[in-house]
Amino acid sequence: MEPMKEHIAPLKISKGRPNLSVSVDSDSIGNHSAQHDFWITSPSTPYHKKDTTMDPIEPPRTVFHNYLRAFYPFHPPGDVSPATVTLPLDQGDIVLVHSVHTNGWADGTLLNTGDRGWLPTNYCEAYDELPMRPLLKALMDFWDIIRGGCGTSLRDFGNQDLMRGLIAGIRFLLDKSECLRRESPLVSAHDGLRRTRKALLSDLSSLVKTSKSFKELANGSPMEDEVEYMLDEMLLKAFKVVTRGVRFLEVWNEDVGLSRTIAELEQSNFSSHALYDIPPTPASETFTENASSEAGDTERNESRLLNRSRMNTSRASTRTDMCDAQHPRPVSFSGKRVSVSYRMSSSCPSTAVRNPNLASERLAASNDAFLGVLGSYIGLHSHSHSSTELLATTQQAVQSCHAFLAVVEAVGEHSPQGWQFVEQSKINMDERLCEFVDAASDAFRPANSPGNEIVIMPDEGKRLVDAVTNCVRAAGDCSAKARLVLEHTGDFELEGFVQDANASHSESSDTHARDTRNMGENQDRPNDLPLRVPPPPLQIPNTEYSPSTPGLTEATTPSSFQSRMGVNSPPDGADVTLLASAAVPPASLEKMPYSSSSAEGTSRASHPRSDTNESCRRAVTSTGSSFTYHSNTRDSEMSGVSQTSTRATSPDIGNHYQVPSLKGSVSHSTLAEENEEAEANVLQKTYAHELIFRDGELKGGSLRALVEMLTAHQSTPDATFASTFYLTFRLFATPLELAQALVDRFEYIGESQSAAGPVRLRVYNVFKGWLESHWRHDCDNVALEFIKNFAKTTLMIHLPSAAKRLVELVEKVSMVHGPVVPRLVSSMGKTSTATAQYVHPETPLPPPILGRKEVNLLKQWKNGEGSLCILDFDPLELARQLTIKESRIFCSILPEELLRLEWSKPKGSLAVNVAALIKMCNEITNLVTDSILQFEEVKKRATVIKHWIKIADKCLELNNYDSLKAILGSLDSSPVTRLYQTWDELSQKSKARKAVLDEIMTLDNNQKNLRPRLQSLAPPCLPFLGTYLTDLTMYEHGNADKRSLPTDSGGMEVINFDKHMKTARSISELQRFQIPYRLAEVPELQAWMQSELVRVRSLHEESPFALYNRSLVLEPRVEAPSHYSSTAQSSSILENAKDRFDFRSWLLTSKSKPVATHG
Amino acid sequence: MSFVAKVVWGKAVSLDRTLLISEAQFVQNVWIESYDPTIEDSYRKQIEVDGRQCILEILDTAGTEQFTAMRELYMKQGQGFLLVFSITSASSLHELSELREQITRIKDDEQVPIVIVGNKSDLEEDRAVPRARAFALSQSWGNAPYYETSARRRANVNEVFIDLCRQIIRKDLQGNSKYSDPSRKRDGPNRHDRKRDKKRQVRRKGPCVIL
Repeated sequence: MEPMKEHIAPLKISKGRPNLSVSVDSDSIGNHSAQHDFWITSPSTPYHKKDTTMDPIEPPRTVFHNYLRAFYPFHPPGDVSPATVTLPLDQGDIVLVHSVHTNGWADGTLLNTGDRGWLPTNYCEAYDELPMRPLLKALMDFWDIIRGGCGTSLRDFGNQDLMRGLIAGIRFLLDKSECLRRESPLVSAHDGLRRTRKALLSDLSSLVKTSKSFKELANGSPMEDEVEYMLDEMLLKAFKVVTRGVRFLEVWNEDVGLSRTIAELEQSNFSSHALYDIPPTPASETFTENASSEAGDTERNESRLLNRSRMNTSRASTRTDMCDAQHPRPVSFSGKRVSVSYRMSSSCPSTAVRNPNLASERLAASNDAFLGVLGSYIGLHSHSHSSTELLATTQQAVQSCHAFLAVVEAVGEHSPQGWQFVEQSKINMDERLCEFVDAASDAFRPANSPGNEIVIMPDEGKRLVDAVTNCVRAAGDCSAKARLVLEHTGDFELEGFVQDANASHSESSDTHARDTRNMGENQDRPNDLPLRVPPPPLQIPNTEYSPSTPGLTEATTPSSFQSRMGVNSPPDGADVTLLASAAVPPASLEKMPYSSSSAEGTSRASHPRSDTNESCRRAVTSTGSSFTYHSNTRDSEMSGVSQTSTRATSPDIGNHYQVPSLKGSVSHSTLAEENEEAEANVLQKTYAHELIFRDGELKGGSLRALVEMLTAHQSTPDATFASTFYLTFRLFATPLELAQALVDRFEYIGESQSAAGPVRLRVYNVFKGWLESHWRHDCDNVALEFIKNFAKTTLMIHLPSAAKRLVELVEKVSMVHGPVVPRLVSSMGKTSTATAQYVHPETPLPPPILGRKEVNLLKQWKNGEGSLCILDFDPLELARQLTIKESRIFCSILPEELLRLEWSKPKGSLAVNVAALIKMCNEITNLVTDSILQFEEVKKRATVIKHWIKIADKCLELNNYDSLKAILGSLDSSPVTRLYQTWDELSQKSKARKAVLDEIMTLDNNQKNLRPRLQSLAPPCLPFLGTYLTDLTMYEHGNADKRSLPTDSGGMEVINFDKHMKTARSISELQRFQIPYRLAEVPELQAWMQSELVRVRSLHEESPFALYNRSLVLEPRVEAPSHYSSTAQSSSILENAKDRFDFRSWLLTSKSKPVATHG
Repeated sequence: MSFVAKVVWGKAVSLDRTLLISEAQFVQNVWIESYDPTIEDSYRKQIEVDGRQCILEILDTAGTEQFTAMRELYMKQGQGFLLVFSITSASSLHELSELREQITRIKDDEQVPIVIVGNKSDLEEDRAVPRARAFALSQSWGNAPYYETSARRRANVNEVFIDLCRQIIRKDLQGNSKYSDPSRKRDGPNRHDRKRDKKRQVRRKGPCVIL
């Protein structure tokens, strides 16, 4: 934000001077200087008034609010400086809060001017008017997007529909205030209302215009500066729109709300229901109580809503209570070390820019550090080690654990509920750590004898590793819990943990040296970051001027002072030193009505002065230039003080727009057409509020809202979204419902002239895409008639040519069986196939590895002479042919086969290809087993196993994990594993090779080796289908179909689109691999393999135990040694089992013999 | 003392949604708004069994029931088995016998830690398997513990896992002596495998299988 930078330079305080000098915005200081004396000396600022009633020791209850409104002007005195961070406030100013210090100072952006800086929260109250909520939320999202930086390319960024939320917010506001239409009675009746409404819309249209030109800019090749400028401009305009919205609501409240409330109060004398039965228009409200009861639910809700907001503003004394009661938000007690609260923001893509002092960051860092030490501990342990080495690591582990626990504790203390939540896992962690230390000390006991470097005993080692594992688990638990707490209560800055968090890295016992080094590290870090808006250093709060801060707690930020100096201190060395050693004249005490920090006093008390000095010195020396960094996690949810009870009125907005700091956004254009456009924008009916977003991702929404996204008028729908929708919509809507929703969309968009055209075309396109390439005859045909009807009537009226085309399509679809436009099977995954190696189409296929001998053998086999064996062929060639066989089925799997567990349906499953591949996989396994058991000689069997291990190895080379799994499945099956003699015959080399394959395919830790492998693979590849089937089953069962969305009328259930996105993502991952292998097929070999598979299948179908029994015949059971089976009972069971199996094998000997000789 | 038990979650019953959810809840111990099975820890859980910390690794083969030939591969990697049937379906109980036979065969051990689970105990009115029959089966399997659970009501789910872990731990302690038995050496399928098993013993690590 180029133009803003100058306003956000760190605040300078000169402690040496008797007068506190707080710099003030140069523009506004002149206007308000007259007020200074008044407010400075005024003992009766609302905050102070309240203060007298408050127990100063009681920690302040803080409710998080994203927006504050000043109810009292605040104009810091002192020299006018161009570099200002203290925001002057006027009554009614709205502030977007980024973070709040416990001393009551908040880092916020003034919407009127776009300036960012510190402001006293005790001059403000929370601003959370119901009708404004969607707009306020939209502004926050907008800020996140713009200030959070675009993780994506500029082009993608530009193509996002940035305006959507804001427009929907305005619409909501106007709708709730019954001013949606220009002709509405309220607008016509109240001149002021009409004017403000017009201004609001003109602001909006100016914003939309800017965003359009930004889009054009982004699609070109813009200069960096230009982009920055445009972004700033958009943000400022968005601020302006919101400010105007606030003003509008106030005007409305004055003109309409007040009279209604009065009427309502009068009415309530007569009827207890009055509150709920107020009809929505003022004209009728005094008279028609009966009529109102006929009003629909929605209307009633609206009127309730309005009543509430009216009450909020007009009966200010009850306002906050009501607000709080309606929205019980997490309450946080500011803990000892907590000084600034942020909202957890996950919207910022780059962690590099994050404030390392944030609790969440600290938590992650200390957890990582701890785990790192534990990891190295295990590493050390598994290698040769000396006890001293281990001792040092143990020490480190304990240190880092304490650091970690301290962070967890701080997080827990941040809120009382949080503490209860975290406490158990913290206690658990403590215990685990104790166990660990115990184990360690036991292990080291021998080493205590002087001069002895002994290697610890294996048994102790085991115990140690167990203890370490426990610690890891407990730490994970702790960290997860703490994160949850943070999500609820807001992130905050942890001061004084700098050393602790890094302590684990240092083995030095010299704490001083360590501190210094770590301080250095910490200071270096921000310097590397892009220079952005600095979180203004909270030095005002830290001054010693005001001993009595009501907002403050027992205190104390141990070392907060110090660390802040280290990390955030301003470059001005002189000031810092002054600050550190300042002797403060008591006279200035009264001059600080906002009286912030008692923390300072205590901080001083708890810290040796030398410490402070030292840190200051360090800060000064290491940060010579003005470094700044952008606190990305700005969007805090917390505002310190919101229980104040005086209502503020916004000053006339007109005044503020004269303030020249709305740089660039001069456009006060009142061109008629622009206003028309804004009217159109707002009038456009939308269900955007029925969508759920989290972390910038769509998580859920109602069908109509999703359809709206699919047919948005200003931007083409996101490709992933569209393909997910096409793939999964049948899971949350019937085809008829979708068709109906599309038609509804087609109709309601007609209300807004400008959008109707593009949106209707998009609706047509959705129908077209559906019919052409996503139509499923089995279930979609029910909607065919409906679509035809729509095409022939409604569509025909508006878009005759499109209607004709749609009718044609419908007819074609009803005749053709199969997709009209054949779609690529892997159309969804196509986007990610870019990783596939490009092979020139004319590159010859690798020639089959077949000698004359093999060809002759195959010929003979074809003529029914002689028999073949897998040993006759090269492992690579066999692997290739297997791959071709399986890949063919794999590539024809359709996405719908994988939806809603289609493949696991016992009857009538449509998942034919999935079933075929599973069957093939099973048959390969049986074939492998069969081929091993064909031979009666142990040596021969070992050779076959060796051959299969080679084939499996080649499958791995070919990325054919499906066949690989099938082969391993056989080698680990009961008929094969029990062939002990055979395995003994196998060479070490083959065993080692198998072990490698086993390790890759291990199921341990959720297939920890295979999953990352598949992620990085370039197709063609044949992944093991089972992995996807399991994942899809878990997505299906582990995620609910619906999500609840809180709305003003209670709440509604919307589609959990996240679930479908995940399913679709998993499917598209599979589709990514659906690329045929470039391998030459050998038809004779294929034919032989097929016949073998068929033979084994029939054998298996005849008797599922055939293979196992043959195995028993080949290598009969070894009598279990008597001392091995501990109880008589178990040995008798074994005996019985043996009898049973022997019996079976005897029965089957005749059957299996011919097969055995066959080979 | 920590211990990793691998449990294979195998079902003779066609999967029911609540069972899986409760499994997910069991593992993560919180209501999961958005469950992701692809992350490494999604099937691990630390529980305490008789004062011992035990890391339970659940190997869930849901969705791959039709890979019949692969079943033994999963079983081989498991140390303990939950055999789940539905008390509302008599046939689901019968299928367990086949599963158990396969398990004992691949593990080459009649004393594999097994817990029999009759699920859907909340649907008492639809009960098709009398308790007595389930107990009879349990007895014929060397008194494998039998539990009736309700995944929907979250009844007995933890108990099932704890019981199984207890069995695995007991087995493991016995197993140590078993592996020191030299006569055992010659039956190992291959030496490397055995070595790996041994290492696992040292690290006290192994999976739990739910069938």
